[in-house]
Amino acid sequence: MEMQNIHSIIAVASGKGGVGKSTVAVNLALALQMQGQRVALLDADIYGPSIPIMLGVPRVDPQTTQFPLDRYGLKLMSMGFLVNPTQAVIWRGPMVDKYLRQFLLAIPWGELDTMVIDLPPGTGDAQLTLTQALRLSGAVIVTTPQEVSLIDARKGLEMFRQVRVPVLGIVENMSYFIAEDGKRYEIFRHGGGQKLAKDAGVPFLGEIPIDPRVAECGDQGDPIVHKYPDSPIAKAYVALSKTITQELEKTSQVPELPSL
Amino acid sequence: MSPSSSESLVPAALSKEGTDRLILQWKDGHRSVYTWKHLRDQCPCAGCREERLQPPDPFRILKPNELVPLAPVSMTPVGHYAYKITWSDGHDTGIYTFETLRELCQCAECVQKGKRMEKSS
Repeated sequence: MEMQNIHSIIAVASGKGGVGKSTVAVNLALALQMQGQRVALLDADIYGPSIPIMLGVPRVDPQTTQFPLDRYGLKLMSMGFLVNPTQAVIWRGPMVDKYLRQFLLAIPWGELDTMVIDLPPGTGDAQLTLTQALRLSGAVIVTTPQEVSLIDARKGLEMFRQVRVPVLGIVENMSYFIAEDGKRYEIFRHGGGQKLAKDAGVPFLGEIPIDPRVAECGDQGDPIVHKYPDSPIAKAYVALSKTITQELEKTSQVPELPSL
Repeated sequence: MSPSSSESLVPAALSKEGTDRLILQWKDGHRSVYTWKHLRDQCPCAGCREERLQPPDPFRILKPNELVPLAPVSMTPVGHYAYKITWSDGHDTGIYTFETLRELCQCAECVQKGKRMEKSS
């Protein structure tokens, strides 16, 4: 199986939508690459793929294109490369399963240090396929600070516990905002991610501040870690990527299971 | 030993004993024994579960694949947490989590324990 040439596979997940999973996944992938790693980014959100816009890669003709695509040195696959952005993918679960398995197993990913998988929100078909078809190295849970997001993040944690995927830790996104006068505003409250990590007994991986440039960069297809590598937020992502690499080393001794 | 959801509940080795039994050696030292028939009868897939809930149909006609003796073709890991058994009749939708496998154990110790629990409840 092709996936054997991939050293680690990290799922970026959350219970809730809109917490910035794709933004974290894209910038984390780029930050890992800045450490000298060979990195791929797989968009597992079949219904609402965000990777094509965030990396500025348009739809291609699947008949004449060899996947994975390449952008900023990242190897990429997304449903958004296959369908028109104005078109909706209206599928039941088994089709999601089928396409995800093809993305994972039929695409020549080659030798990789890390594959980052951007999961859709929730605990449904895409999550089940990934935890069954692969032996994930670990999951990173993204949350925003407020309780309504934490409730769903707990469900994500519980899912990974049940399917025995190691949780590398929790990232608190949109954690705070530093205004031009240097004053710190905690727009969506603060510290929820840290509390959740403590309650669940998993590492807290860090806080990512709010920066309007993140949205601007995402919409322009040039992620902030790539466009402004010296910005505080890019540095937060580099720190995050290092922490995740360390956590992976701790959990990487998962032994092979016997077969019959 | 009681079934637990602890991290030690991980299979270390699988082997066949004769044609009708599976031996599963666990990391925590427990040695489970199963007949393949028991595992198939308790198949956790949605279809089989539904079938077990229905009252038995006295007029049921066997399908052609039910006439051949049932045997396991393979037993392979699913992610980090379960096994899939593929049977000689093509059935392969059952995903047996480690917890389920431990609960289904038919070793003398577990069977005794099961009986005791039945009496006390």
